[in-house]
Amino acid sequence: MATGLDQLKITFFDECDEAMQQIEAGLTDIRAGQSSDDTINSVFRAVHSVKGGAGIFGFESLVGFAHVLETVLDGLRAGKLVATDDNVGVLLQASDVLSDLVSMSRSNKPIEAGYGGECRIALEGIIKQEGGGASEVDGDNSPAADFDGLDFKPVRIDFDEPAADLKKSYSITFRPKPALLKKANEPLYILRELRKLGELDLVAQTDLLAPLAELEPDHPYIWWMGTLRTEATRAQIDEVFEFVASDSDLEISEIVPEAPSPAAAADMGDIPFVPVMSDLPISSPSIVPDLLAEKPAAASGDAPARAVPAKHAATTTRIELERIDRVVNMVGELVISQAMLGQIVQDLPEGTAGRLAQILEEVIHHTRELKDSVMSMRAQPVGSVFQRMPRLVRELAMKTHKKVRLEMVGETTEVDRSIIERLGDPLTHIIRNSVDHGVESPADRIAAGKSEEGVIRLSAEHRGGRIIIEIKDDGAGINSERVLRKAREKGLVRPDAVLSEDEIANLVMLPGFSTAETISDISGRGVGMDVVRSNIQDIGGRISLKSVPGKGMTIQLALPLTLAVMDGMVIKVGDQTYVMPLSSIVECLRPARSEISNLIGTRGMLHLRGEFVPLVLLSELLDVSTEAKDTGERVVIITDAGEGTHFGLIVDELCGHQQVVIKSIEESYGTVPGIAAATILGNGRVAFILDVEKLSDIAVTSALDGAVPAATRNASTMVTMN
Amino acid sequence: MPNAVAVKVLLVDDQNSVRQMARITLEEIGFRQIQEAANGVEAMHTASLQPIDLIISDYNMPEMDGLALLRAVRCHPVVRKVPFILLTGRGDRELVVKAAEAGVNNYLVKPFTAAILREKIEQVMGKLS
Repeated sequence: MATGLDQLKITFFDECDEAMQQIEAGLTDIRAGQSSDDTINSVFRAVHSVKGGAGIFGFESLVGFAHVLETVLDGLRAGKLVATDDNVGVLLQASDVLSDLVSMSRSNKPIEAGYGGECRIALEGIIKQEGGGASEVDGDNSPAADFDGLDFKPVRIDFDEPAADLKKSYSITFRPKPALLKKANEPLYILRELRKLGELDLVAQTDLLAPLAELEPDHPYIWWMGTLRTEATRAQIDEVFEFVASDSDLEISEIVPEAPSPAAAADMGDIPFVPVMSDLPISSPSIVPDLLAEKPAAASGDAPARAVPAKHAATTTRIELERIDRVVNMVGELVISQAMLGQIVQDLPEGTAGRLAQILEEVIHHTRELKDSVMSMRAQPVGSVFQRMPRLVRELAMKTHKKVRLEMVGETTEVDRSIIERLGDPLTHIIRNSVDHGVESPADRIAAGKSEEGVIRLSAEHRGGRIIIEIKDDGAGINSERVLRKAREKGLVRPDAVLSEDEIANLVMLPGFSTAETISDISGRGVGMDVVRSNIQDIGGRISLKSVPGKGMTIQLALPLTLAVMDGMVIKVGDQTYVMPLSSIVECLRPARSEISNLIGTRGMLHLRGEFVPLVLLSELLDVSTEAKDTGERVVIITDAGEGTHFGLIVDELCGHQQVVIKSIEESYGTVPGIAAATILGNGRVAFILDVEKLSDIAVTSALDGAVPAATRNASTMVTMN
Repeated sequence: MPNAVAVKVLLVDDQNSVRQMARITLEEIGFRQIQEAANGVEAMHTASLQPIDLIISDYNMPEMDGLALLRAVRCHPVVRKVPFILLTGRGDRELVVKAAEAGVNNYLVKPFTAAILREKIEQVMGKLS
């Protein structure tokens, strides 16, 4: 049972997350003046749900706080309170406190008795604004089963008691024949008579109606079907039809409630049996408006329709992540087996593969689709990370006395869970920076001719197999002079280096760089953009930064959609095989001797379309011996090392493009610079997946120091081991 | 004397966790035939498809709340006599008054124990066996 209960708690907290998002979104709308009654209702409902669940699972502090918040929302809902800016401000704070309480309860942290006390007092202050004043927020902690003093008596259903009403239901079908009209009878009069007997619910059936051109004016095309609930006897009903019975097809039958389920009947002595009709083609019409609008039933006679099944019913199912991961793993294994199969087919003598190759082609296609669908199961909208940001911005803006508005676009963009999980911290940091260092104080902004309120735009979109997340502010941007000066002071840049504006901007992401002249409370806690960069790189992403002084700054994160499978280029260096992520390859080429210029201190520069690209020998970087020494005859892979800089890796051979399953080596070997992970190739051998950005860093440092880092050497030793 | 095993219960709550908790509690009492619905509209749909002997519904739900469901149930020819127990929060005193007017059979304040739930059901249906 314990595990069952724990599982339920997890479900509850998941629901809380959803509720918090709803609260946040609703309150934001209310603050922006875009709210309707529904908005307040949905916020109220969400808080109420949190409270209800918290009560069931015994999180008392959560219940207590949620209750006060709920009382205020109820006041707003009932129009007793007004959503002034101040009040909404308090509500937003309260939603933050509530969210804190939820996460504390989730992590089983003890909650201090007075947590959120100030906010609670502010909420109670709002409650006092209410006209009458004395609204009770008290006495809420007694888990009473009943409301004291409430005059309520449970309604016992006594089965033996004759049904409270004597009304019976009749189903009526009335089809006039041509003779009926010819004898000057009018069906409508009959129906009117019928209505006098009780609740009549008829639908005119128009299926027999002829096209206009063929319509005969004296032919009764229309017929009626429906129910009559009445105390009248059968004879009284028949009387209504007395004059037309022979000129129409008439069916009148009493609707007898179906006996309850036999299982129940056996034992249920005094249980109230529920009248259940076998079918309900025409149910009481009053239920229809009720379903559509949450109003008390309005008895309108027209438009009877079947209850529309809920659109949202059971369209999702919760599955443990572990199970999906198992499928992901199996798909990974499948990809490997398929690669092995491919290898065998390829090795067959020419012309013998025939149909086998064709089928393999199909298998590859299906595997890819299977992989994509499994990945989409793991995918989550980035909204779950984005949702935390409005609060962050709000709090920071308050602390720094700035006015900042956060705009979010593309929250529904989906990306793998594993990436979502690791996106929170970098994103938080970047936004912190934007508010703290980017956006200026209101006075400065006005002086600079901008509006008082700074805007930070957070957007996400899919682009070219990656997800692009952009954080853009309209603040002061990067002071390139100051950055350059600082970088020189810290020895991060050679004093004589000439850097472009973008290159300078990207210096802030170098390790050990922090421009904040005063260490503020918010950012600048020693964790700089370099950590953000390495976080992003760890998940195979790239970060780039653009700054326009005085206009603002844009940070772009390009992230892979998944961490489990990727497209790679299999390459050979000496006797070693490596995989290079396709996403970091710009192009592959075999340059002519004449295109490579030898420059002192480099392995050569490739002259590529008017640009010089530094070349690096991969064999040297990884300390792999290779026979081919002549750079001119070997393949150069132009890679994108992030921040828009390119460099060329010289390798021996390209073996082809392949989907590879990423297997982490961190658990066994720790972090190896230059190596991102490992994979199993079609021939069953292990190959390392290169970390191109780290390689570029290594290349730069080794070019400066003239030494190959020891760790990389270890990496090649490991390959030999395998 | 109704036998809990034979009683078909329809449990309505939008929160999955709460619904599961209630289900566990119902099972503890001895109920075995428990249908679930996430809101009033779904509940009406479920109730119209099969016989239901008891509806236990939360109040606070999107689409159609517990009170609207109660009213819909009470004017629906098929299910209008089904005993209806409304789950309420600790502060929903006024709601109970409204629900009583709409013909609720009993109410139950959340959170509840199996014993209280049993008592509330028995107040409506008679002793359970």
